[in-house]
Amino acid sequence: MNIGRVTLNASKIECAGCKTCATNYEADNLQHALARLNGVLKVKVDKVTGKVTIEYDAQKISDSKFTERIEKLGYKVEIESRVEI
Amino acid sequence: MKEHVKGIILVILLGLFALAGALITGTQVAYAREISIVLTLIAVALGYRIYVHGIRSLMHGNVTAQLFATIAIFISVVAGFVLPSASATGTAEAVGYLTASAIVAFIILAGMTLEDYIIHRTRGALEKLINLSPTTARIRRDGAEAEVPIDEVKLGEVVLVKPGDKIPVDGTVISGHSTVNQATITGESIPVEKTVGDRTFAGTFNEQGALEVKVEKIAEDSTLSHLIQLVEEAQEKKAPIQNVADRFTTYFLPIMAVLASSVFAASYFTLGFNVALSRTVTVLLVACPCALAIAVPVAVAATIGNASMNGIIIKGGTHIEKLKDVKLVAFDKTGTLTVGEPKVVEVKTFGNYSDADTIKYAAIAEKFSEHPLSKAILAKATEMNLKIPDPTDFKTIPGHGVDASYGDEHILIGRKMMESELSEEATQLMNRVEGEGKTAIPVALDKHVIGIVVVADTVRKDSLEAIQRLKRLGVKTAMLTGDSVLTAKSIAEQIGIDEYHAELLPEEKVAIIVELKKLNVVAMVGDGVNDAPALANSDVSFAMGAAGSDVAMETADVVLLGDDLTKVEYAISLSRKAFGRMKGNIAYAFVWNIVALSLAAFGILNPVLAVILAEAGCISVVINSALLLLSKPNPLSNIKG
Repeated sequence: MNIGRVTLNASKIECAGCKTCATNYEADNLQHALARLNGVLKVKVDKVTGKVTIEYDAQKISDSKFTERIEKLGYKVEIESRVEI
Repeated sequence: MKEHVKGIILVILLGLFALAGALITGTQVAYAREISIVLTLIAVALGYRIYVHGIRSLMHGNVTAQLFATIAIFISVVAGFVLPSASATGTAEAVGYLTASAIVAFIILAGMTLEDYIIHRTRGALEKLINLSPTTARIRRDGAEAEVPIDEVKLGEVVLVKPGDKIPVDGTVISGHSTVNQATITGESIPVEKTVGDRTFAGTFNEQGALEVKVEKIAEDSTLSHLIQLVEEAQEKKAPIQNVADRFTTYFLPIMAVLASSVFAASYFTLGFNVALSRTVTVLLVACPCALAIAVPVAVAATIGNASMNGIIIKGGTHIEKLKDVKLVAFDKTGTLTVGEPKVVEVKTFGNYSDADTIKYAAIAEKFSEHPLSKAILAKATEMNLKIPDPTDFKTIPGHGVDASYGDEHILIGRKMMESELSEEATQLMNRVEGEGKTAIPVALDKHVIGIVVVADTVRKDSLEAIQRLKRLGVKTAMLTGDSVLTAKSIAEQIGIDEYHAELLPEEKVAIIVELKKLNVVAMVGDGVNDAPALANSDVSFAMGAAGSDVAMETADVVLLGDDLTKVEYAISLSRKAFGRMKGNIAYAFVWNIVALSLAAFGILNPVLAVILAEAGCISVVINSALLLLSKPNPLSNIKG
């Protein structure tokens, strides 16, 4: 298996500043939506910085699928780094 | 769920340590004061989630309420150590401050955990859909049956579905007969019959028969997959009203910071350091923007989740706001209000001929015709269990009818084929029927008219109720059709629609919608494919019966997966309710903050009361929004405008 790791910056994910919702609602949704894609192994959405880190099976899925899905969910996104591990 | 378990454990631990710390103070145990201080500090430390979040967002340039809470707790802890040495009251005050900070941390953490949980539950509807996605399929490969992961099933393969199984793929039945419960996709709980040639959807439940299904879509492209994606996207799309809340929260926290500093300054010079500190901490703790920030997104998600469980996809918060204002619903006729397939509704016979004779001869003549009316006659023949032999010879005369022979019998079908042979009685009957917007087909055998077959499109069983529901809601209804005025009038009268526009070309439908929009917020309901231009021009477009049609699912603002038109009313009612709740929540959060802040600034609240108030405000708003998930369609008699 060919494992890739991509880090993306998604805009507008930052917490609106609520005291209780440390789990930002939107970040939570994004996390689930990405984790469900076929070939994704691990997803981490940083609620404070809007950074999304995805580990995936490079034979099953490519990172353009991630940007496409994140954009469909209503965020602007850019790829920050991409490595093979 | 792991996250939640962790959260709950933290809350319990924090609570226990804080309690132990508070209890041991003032007891006669040796080192009671020291022990209580250590226990309370551990408790405060267990609230690390709050501080980590607050400090990280500050480093990222955001001022958050978590940061305020962090500062408030930090001030209290420091005060707990610093103040007593300066004053004579000693350790009681130190422990008092420490205990207060532990309790504050406990309440915030408990609130956070509870809110996480409620928000997680709001995802429940989506989660339910996701869990429906089949993981394996039983397929026939190389003559043997095998259970394979769903991702490995290829187009064109044959899937075997046993009674009681979940159907794993979108496809066509190639053998077997059964009933299938499609509630998961269409929201309609009455099972539908499936036999050879019928389509199946992944995630629906096969009941008593076995089926073989040819795969037409791979798992990733199934209707269920699309549905999940659409709901996911819809829940993220903000409602315009959110902008009001967002604008408010942008200014809210900086204003709070200023307010807290002013309170400190004002009370420091009048009431002294100790009071000033306590009031500042209280102000920082009572500020609660979350009610504003979270109330609308949770309401949107709950509404969309609720709708999806009822076979409706509302594609985002914007449409909820539009739906609530809808004053007129325009329906496409054919295929929307009506079934869209002509059916034999009446047979009239003359002389000694029976219904069966009339249908039989008509069917022989029409046997090889592709015309929709021929299909209606052949369907009637099948329904009557008639054996229909092939015609010996036949000729279709477009626009007129059919001239056919069977052995030495001569059959004529259609009014224009036999105008002169029609009796007075037959002519009258045909004029009456056509006046009702139906089609009358006379059948003649050897130039004698033996009967008249009446064919018409039939109204869907839900259409009447759908219109009644909208009327009760105070919403007007209109029908747009390319059909004749007579047909339109007859259908409009049957279901009680307010106005109808007939003989329209597609571009004329658009013009009518534009015209209607001048006076009303207009929703348009159609099949999503043929009437796409009119749909695109309405304020809110509904595509009905869209399960399986990617185009329809993609284009409409609101997708009705099944055929049930009463869902139009539910979508509007639910949106009205949801919007009312969003507005109510924002107003409530606003007032709540102002009242609580005033109380805090004037020293009527202490830090512990402040944080209890703030959390109660937040959580009640979130619960109020999340409860939209449980809303149910009203019975017809309970609908109010």
